[in-house]
Amino acid sequence: MGGVQPDKQRERRNKRVGIVMGGVALGMVGMGFASAPLYRLFCQVTGLNGTVSRAEASELDFSQAVKGQTIQVRFDANHRDDLPWDFKPEQTTDTATVGARDLAIFIAKNKSNRPVTGTATYNVTPAQAGKYFTKIQCFCFTQQTLQPGEQVRMPVIFYIDPKIATDPDTQSVEEITLSYTFYPVDPDKQGG
Amino acid sequence: MKSPKTLLIAFALALMPAAAGATVSPASAVPAEAAPKETAAPLPQPGEATDGSIATQPAAAVSDDGSLPGYTPMKPTAGIGMPQAEEVNFQEQFSENGKYAKNINSYILLPLCIVISLVVLALLFWVIVRFRRSANAEPSRTTHNTAIEVIWTLVPALILVGIAIPSIDLLAKQYDPAPAGAVTIKATGYQWYWGYSYPDNGGFEVISNMLPEDEAVARGEPYMLAADNRMVVPAGVPLRIQTTGADVIHSFAVPSLWFKLDAVPGRLNEKELTITKPGVYYGQCSELCGARHGFMPITVEALPPAQFAAWVRAQGGTMPGDEEAAPDAPATDAVPAEGGVSTSNPAALQQEAGQPGAATDVAE
Amino acid sequence: MTTIAATPGDFSHEGDHHDADHKPSFFARWFMSTNHKDIGTLYLIFAIMAGVIGGAISGLMRAELAEPGIQYLQTWATWHNSMAGQGAASLDEAYHMWNVLITAHGLIMVFFMVMPAMIGGFGNWFIPLMIGAPDMAFPRMNNVSFWLTAVAFVMLLGSSFVPGGTGLGAGTGWTVYAPLSTSGSIGPAVDMAIFSLHLAGAASILGAINFIATILNMRAPGMTLHKMPLFVWSVLVTAFLLLLALPVLAAAITMLLVDRNFGGAFFDAAAGGDPVLYQHLFWFFGHPEVYIMILPGFGMISQIVATFSRKPVFGYLGMAYAMVMIGVIGFVVWAHHMFTTGLSVNVKMYFTAATMVIAVPTGIKIFSWIATMWGGSISFKTPMLWALGFIFMFTVGGVTGVVLANGGIDDALHDTYYVVAHFHYVLSLGAVFSLFAGFYYWFPKMSGKMYNEFLGKLHFWVFFLGVNVLFFPMHFLGQSGMPRRIPDYPAAFAYFNQIASFGYVIMAAGVAIFLINIIYSLAAGRRAEGNPWGEGATTLEWTLTSPPPFHQFETLPHIK
Repeated sequence: MGGVQPDKQRERRNKRVGIVMGGVALGMVGMGFASAPLYRLFCQVTGLNGTVSRAEASELDFSQAVKGQTIQVRFDANHRDDLPWDFKPEQTTDTATVGARDLAIFIAKNKSNRPVTGTATYNVTPAQAGKYFTKIQCFCFTQQTLQPGEQVRMPVIFYIDPKIATDPDTQSVEEITLSYTFYPVDPDKQGG
Repeated sequence: MKSPKTLLIAFALALMPAAAGATVSPASAVPAEAAPKETAAPLPQPGEATDGSIATQPAAAVSDDGSLPGYTPMKPTAGIGMPQAEEVNFQEQFSENGKYAKNINSYILLPLCIVISLVVLALLFWVIVRFRRSANAEPSRTTHNTAIEVIWTLVPALILVGIAIPSIDLLAKQYDPAPAGAVTIKATGYQWYWGYSYPDNGGFEVISNMLPEDEAVARGEPYMLAADNRMVVPAGVPLRIQTTGADVIHSFAVPSLWFKLDAVPGRLNEKELTITKPGVYYGQCSELCGARHGFMPITVEALPPAQFAAWVRAQGGTMPGDEEAAPDAPATDAVPAEGGVSTSNPAALQQEAGQPGAATDVAE
Repeated sequence: MTTIAATPGDFSHEGDHHDADHKPSFFARWFMSTNHKDIGTLYLIFAIMAGVIGGAISGLMRAELAEPGIQYLQTWATWHNSMAGQGAASLDEAYHMWNVLITAHGLIMVFFMVMPAMIGGFGNWFIPLMIGAPDMAFPRMNNVSFWLTAVAFVMLLGSSFVPGGTGLGAGTGWTVYAPLSTSGSIGPAVDMAIFSLHLAGAASILGAINFIATILNMRAPGMTLHKMPLFVWSVLVTAFLLLLALPVLAAAITMLLVDRNFGGAFFDAAAGGDPVLYQHLFWFFGHPEVYIMILPGFGMISQIVATFSRKPVFGYLGMAYAMVMIGVIGFVVWAHHMFTTGLSVNVKMYFTAATMVIAVPTGIKIFSWIATMWGGSISFKTPMLWALGFIFMFTVGGVTGVVLANGGIDDALHDTYYVVAHFHYVLSLGAVFSLFAGFYYWFPKMSGKMYNEFLGKLHFWVFFLGVNVLFFPMHFLGQSGMPRRIPDYPAAFAYFNQIASFGYVIMAAGVAIFLINIIYSLAAGRRAEGNPWGEGATTLEWTLTSPPPFHQFETLPHIK
């Protein structure tokens, strides 16, 4: 520091520090808000929290399918109490060949006497398996409207990356659970 | 000392939340309308259950002690699977990871805590006695000693590395995924009770409410830990415990099994658990979930596998390999849209009726 | 460094000829104050009042928990209802009231007691004095900060009289987790509580900017960063933590408001949000927040230990940079509050390891305080007793923190009374001990009166006994499995709960002695000299009269 400074000069410096620090605070507020999309992105990239990857069939290489190397896949279906549906997997478990396309069917039925729209969230457990579990086609990507009494069979096409067998975090995984929760679509709610 | 631009920023910061809050008040003045839709008809309301108990499940075929044909609830053993009066340590553990974790605490962490606290206390006593003003009138002016500063940085760091090794090992063990053949049980947290569903056994769900005090006493169980319907599991075999929340976050916790996993709405969590010994193990919801957070206990009953199978059948469920169905195409195929269990069984029907999903159908 | 050769009176009266002691009228002085000392006093009075209210709430909690069963809650809830013009309370409303009590206790103690006392009170009073500045950098903003905090407090108290779901008030816990705080709590109470946090947060951010500008720009000639007293260092680090952490809280709770009122879905799984994201954001703020509450305490303890040992602080640079390190690491360990949410194994291992690292700089501080006393000539005045109590109690709270840092061990302890015991040892016995230490240390300087030494020491011993009887048994309860935040418990937990409630009574008696001491000392205390502590007190505030002139350092002191 050193030297007595005139008040004017000090005021200017205070103002500068104040503005910079205020900017830092505002920037952190922005970071807070930005974290919502960033977090989702981060989960998708890393498979954190059992976030499932998505891909087009054309992007994937099914030639690596290892005959005989299989993994058990369990299907779990939940729905919110205020969604008047029956929702369950056609099969509870399935033996999937690693590296090949596989199909699972979920069945939903609207038990009420009015059309109801639902949308699903999903994840897989154990969480570390998320990044090797890829969905190619899924009803969960879009909203589903069921007419009164209507029952639909909803397919999920998925693919398990053969790398699952070599990653030390996942090589002991013998069974993966794919879990869906159906929610009623609230017309007021927008994705955050 | 005026700096108008800085003050402007300051006020902007101050007013930003204020503006948000100002627009809030009109909406929140009408609570019923402002309420998100999801909570409009959450559950079959327990009426004015002023005794703190909820009666979501019609108590038809269940007798007073909770027994069904082919199943009588196990009597808990005092001091096993539950807290004991004046207990200062962790409960006795009934899972391998629990025993390992408790040992890490008993033989590494706790002694370390005591030793460090006592060393600091001893040093404090020493300086208090030795360097009190009447004993040492002339203070030294020493303010540096590089050697000792390096030591008291490195020694704690090494101690921490020593702790980290078993600690990381414990974590790895706890995250060992359940094998393919593990029995899967899904615990769903509701406001304010638990539902346990058995997807491998026909997909029925057991609704579990806290027992009122008089009933708990009558059944010889600890009040606030005892539930009317238990989460019955086989002992000695790996379990795949999955948790999810139906409304808000709950947490499925059983201290004597060293098990705690949050039940988060919209997502499934999973952990492996092997209970080493048949018995009754109690726990409580461990994430604040609203008014009756303190009153949604968890009662786990671990049975020998054969008795577990009997219990499953008494619930109207099936064991894998039952009936004609192949393991990967179980009974659910038969009646996919109608509940997934044999509908001729009254107990199963009753379980179905107890499900919140069925009840809201009426509300809609 | 804190060695400043100056004698009392050197600087205090130089400004006399232009109104150094001119004081504005009562209203202008206390309601429109721009004087850092007056604002500091306001903050201290505010914090004591908030502390008494928050402490009374914990008294209600300990009364209800003294034995198993619901004893008083329903009566209180009915009474509370009647204040808001409603009828008798149902049992569910009584249970909800419990959640309101724990929420209010947490929020009040964190945002309206510890933070205002440490940063607003002692920070405002002594940062300018210690660095040889005439006032804070932005005196008017300082005033805005205080009154925002006061309005925020009124708002929080007001929230308990409007509907918040099952009953009156916000019953979400101080963490305000979604979705309990969104779809799980209908009614304006939670909105009001969130808004209160916005105001308190904005006030603290303004305060942080003020402290940073003051410490960076307003130091007297010769007062280099490495000569600043450690209390100034601690407030500088704290101010940066506030600046970086609080805006994230503001963003998180704003998202809660959007989810609650404007159809947002940041944390609503139904529309693609994630409730766990709220916890990440909250604890990204929440963990630095615990250092915000303790770092200024570290600073005060350093000053006090040096003063009463008549010895400069041992390892000054290590002490200063240990605080910087604690602040930095504090931002990368947040998920250890979320070990049971279903984190993946690698994440949990990282947060376990990172959390344990904090023990290293904390250990440096503990050992450096002891080394400061080593070879010293220690006098055991009241502030020193509190400082010694702090060092030991903080160590106990610290080692249980190392236990909790282990993700695998935390599976049993998370959300149990062990955690309650841990954070009360570092806060109620750490932060609060440092507050009392600082209060007795600076009381003569602030008031110009000596406190009563006997009452001060009695206060220490009674309080020390009380909080240990109150909080130590909670370790046992937690290990045995008792969850937090429950109004009633299985009978097995009765024994230690009863002891804890008994400890509360002792502690409350200690607080009563404290209040008596303040009143007695203000009314009849001996006049304090400029420096009542003798040669050990070397920082600049002791070169002024007690109390200091209304405007000090109009001619800046030179530090050699």
